[in-house]
Amino acid sequence: MNHLYVLAALIPVAFVLGWWASRQIGVRRSGAEVSELSSDYFRGLNYLLNEEQDKAIEVFLKLAEYNRDTVETHLALGNLFRRRGEVDRAIRLHQHLVSRPGLTDAMKTVALLELGEDYMRAGLLDRAEALFSDLVAMDAHAPSALRHLIAIYQHERDWHKAIEHARRLEVMTGEDEAPMIAQFYCELADRSRQHGARAEARDYLRQAFECQPDCVRAFMLTGRLLSEDGQHAEAVTAYEAAINADIAFTPDILPPLLNSYARSQQMERAEGFLRDMLGRYHGVSPVLALTHLYRQRDGERAAVDFLTAQLRLRPSVRGLMALIDATMDKIEGEARENFLILRDLTRKLLEGQAMYRCSRCGFGAKAHHWQCPSCKNWSTIRPIHGVASE
Amino acid sequence: MRPLAIVILVIFVAAGLVLGALNADLVDYDLAFARMQLPKGAALLGAMVIGWLLGGLTAWVGVSMRQRRQRRQLRADQKSPLAP
Ligand SMILES: [Zn+2]
Repeated sequence: MNHLYVLAALIPVAFVLGWWASRQIGVRRSGAEVSELSSDYFRGLNYLLNEEQDKAIEVFLKLAEYNRDTVETHLALGNLFRRRGEVDRAIRLHQHLVSRPGLTDAMKTVALLELGEDYMRAGLLDRAEALFSDLVAMDAHAPSALRHLIAIYQHERDWHKAIEHARRLEVMTGEDEAPMIAQFYCELADRSRQHGARAEARDYLRQAFECQPDCVRAFMLTGRLLSEDGQHAEAVTAYEAAINADIAFTPDILPPLLNSYARSQQMERAEGFLRDMLGRYHGVSPVLALTHLYRQRDGERAAVDFLTAQLRLRPSVRGLMALIDATMDKIEGEARENFLILRDLTRKLLEGQAMYRCSRCGFGAKAHHWQCPSCKNWSTIRPIHGVASE
Repeated sequence: MRPLAIVILVIFVAAGLVLGALNADLVDYDLAFARMQLPKGAALLGAMVIGWLLGGLTAWVGVSMRQRRQRRQLRADQKSPLAP
């Protein structure tokens, strides 16, 4: 009888073995499916990296149809559409994603954020604004949504709302947005100044200083307001403070400062300040200003001597041009012709130069902008220092 | 099939033949609904095969039911706006 016990023990053992063997076969088959999917994925990725975006989109579309977890793929696809400028397709895709049932809240808000970016890209700023405001109200991805909102208000030049949202962003992230808010107040102040509301402009400037006590732009605007009001001595103080706050802006500040020195008849103070600047600033602007000052006070000879001595220390095309202009009168004959050619050459050299460059994105400009037109950062555009420019 | 698997299969078939020849004596079995006489070796082999098949069937039914459920959900999800 005991072989019956052996039989009874054998059946469960065989059962387990059969079950295990069947599972192994199943795993191998679904493994083949997974590897097919991931090979599709890598193919799509490869197309993407090779800038063959049409083919990449085809592959990802196919992938999105077969894969159950398509949300990530949809998001990547929507991004791709937007990047390609096919904003209407991106919008349709993200709208579909948002309306899809059974999506987790986290995924839905990501899709909403993307949809808002689509709207911004398509120029539908009012829709984007409504969407981002909703996201902020829901407290979902609020920092990103706030940043987008601030960008929208900057674009619409609605500085009050920009300030309000920048302050909320500050509270939310703990990051210091004060320099940006100070710029918004400066925009407000400049607008008030242009409309003749001088008291209002002064009030905005006071708030700008509260945000950022060493805001160059606020100092410059203060100087401008004061000199327009005829208070040139006070304007001199403001302009000097502007240079002390950020010496890189000297080429922009010096012309109005020199004007205010002249109007308030403080040429002694001007010489002292410019002499002091020579030590800490390596551009040519203060040299040219001092040359002008010496020409008026001590005559041509002293001015040219000073200029040549300084040009040896800091060679610069602008300085050279000033030197050529100064010595032009004394030269006659053939040498004069050569000097004329040289002067034209230096003038051409300076004409093609970008005088300002964004320190973030490298955008080059001939005029100064407080907000970079390319990367939209504030006060990143600065005068270029080099032989040909400053 | 790989050569190793063939070798193992041959060994097991041989072992089955030898065991069957050694345990050829008939034994009475009472399976409650039927009575039968089987050689000991055949009973051993039959128990193995039945256990194996039952185990495989159970696993297969489980997997295919899960896949059918997934496929149904997938179809519900797919009302794609992606067509250009
Ligand atoms: Zn830039």
